[in-house]
Amino acid sequence: MLSNFVGEYKILQREKLYSFARHQLPADDSDYIDLRAKQFLLDDSNSIAPQLLSIKTRTKYSRLADFTALHIFVVSLRCEHSCPYCQVSRQSEDRDSFDMTEEVADRSLELTFQSPSQNIKIEFQGGESLLNFDLIKYIVVQAKKINEKVNKHLGFVIATNLAPVTHEMLLFCKEHDIVISTSLDGPSDLHNKNRPRPGKNSYEKAIEGIRLVREVLGQDKVSALMTTTEASLNRVKDIIDEYIKNDFDGIFLRHLSPYGFAIKTKSYRAYSTERWLDFYKEGLQYIIELNKMGVPFREYYACTILSKMLTNSDPGFVDLMNPSGMGIAAIVYNYDGSVHPSDESRMLAEMGDNTFRMGNVLENTYEEIFSSEALVKPLEESFTLSAPMCSDCAFESFCGADPVYHYATSKDFLAKKPESDFCHRNMSIFKYLICLMEEDPYVKRLFFRWAHRS
Amino acid sequence: MTEVIFDKAFFSPETLKKAGYRFIDQFSVEFSSTEQSYVCRLIFKTNKTTEAIAALVKDFRNEVLDQDLRERIKQETEPVRNLILAHAFSKTSLVPHE
Repeated sequence: MLSNFVGEYKILQREKLYSFARHQLPADDSDYIDLRAKQFLLDDSNSIAPQLLSIKTRTKYSRLADFTALHIFVVSLRCEHSCPYCQVSRQSEDRDSFDMTEEVADRSLELTFQSPSQNIKIEFQGGESLLNFDLIKYIVVQAKKINEKVNKHLGFVIATNLAPVTHEMLLFCKEHDIVISTSLDGPSDLHNKNRPRPGKNSYEKAIEGIRLVREVLGQDKVSALMTTTEASLNRVKDIIDEYIKNDFDGIFLRHLSPYGFAIKTKSYRAYSTERWLDFYKEGLQYIIELNKMGVPFREYYACTILSKMLTNSDPGFVDLMNPSGMGIAAIVYNYDGSVHPSDESRMLAEMGDNTFRMGNVLENTYEEIFSSEALVKPLEESFTLSAPMCSDCAFESFCGADPVYHYATSKDFLAKKPESDFCHRNMSIFKYLICLMEEDPYVKRLFFRWAHRS
Repeated sequence: MTEVIFDKAFFSPETLKKAGYRFIDQFSVEFSSTEQSYVCRLIFKTNKTTEAIAALVKDFRNEVLDQDLRERIKQETEPVRNLILAHAFSKTSLVPHE
């Protein structure tokens, strides 16, 4: 597989590759014509190729300067669930210790609107964010008031397990066009096993909450995320069927991350990367079969990668960005005012590691926070185009730097890529997606639609 | 104490120092040189078996290679790295605008 600087790729038979490398591929060969069309080669008939490639490169990096669109407000660490893989939540009634105050929220909003991005999305997270719903209401009203002067595209998301949701809360969401992101790990037995809460009814609460959100806000105003635990590994079809049963049009098959309680409770090491890849591939095959049978359904991680492979625009997914999306695409204002460049890095901080702590909203200015060593150093050190193995990897354009993951697993922002599970996992997925497309024209057409979100 | 030798034609003293620093919790390194080589004497903090020493020497050699490549590629790609990172921060108030 050959790829160019913007991630367009071309599969060549080995003999053709050698011939191309020796400048001996005939100009009338169909692969030669393809390579020329994608600016892999320059000859007398395409002198405009460098300009075309630079336009594509500019397009690819255009979103990068759209500095910090996603602003995550951790309004409370409190939660009534006790999920073993959860990174941060506290089972506590102590609002003073674990809830964000209006003072922290006000200052975080000031910083939010200093971001040059014209698009500002404020996401409320926890703990269980709805346990501090009064503060969510305060932040939404204040943000809209500030936005009257600056007129940005402002949106809101509440990440919640939906157990505490009420009709009144959703009426407020409707009034302010707030969308909901929730958790659904699979069928009842699996979901309730993964997500214990008093009453052992997390699944029932989530499903009832999803129904209520759709009734009040509309069908497309709720999305769901799943986390793969050891108990999920043999259940991928059940999990996908559960999403279809609940009228979702896709699923994000996520692996566990090496942060917080997932490390402490050993859930992160409960399965290997290989085992998760088997789970992922089985799930993706099943989704393709469903599409062939006329059931439109997507896998969102594949959609993100395919968008990088098959279009010139970058979806801006934090884990798959270079430079890393930390601080650039997303920023986290923690309940206590500390600022972190990603959700994962605040999880490290909750476990006592403040390597990525950029400052505190009550003590530091925007300039101090965004020029802090905690942000700039990992961004620079993890830059993949300067990294051994990444710099000449054909998949580099599809991949990302993810210094938080590499720091969490090896105490090194860059890490040695042959030892990196992140590298192994993503390279395996890239190869798998390309093989599927090359082997089956139907899959190629399907993936093209996924990439273009059509 | 164990000696590990690197050819001067392939590695710089900075690379060896960076690699040595990564193992500061396991051993300290004493550096010296001959006409053709750099000699690293690894002095272990605690008593180690022959197998454990061999494994650490292997890790140290890998680390030297990794650090060497990091340095070289970092230098080669400095213009593109600076350009892309500068572009990322270009609209913020961190960059003075005229």
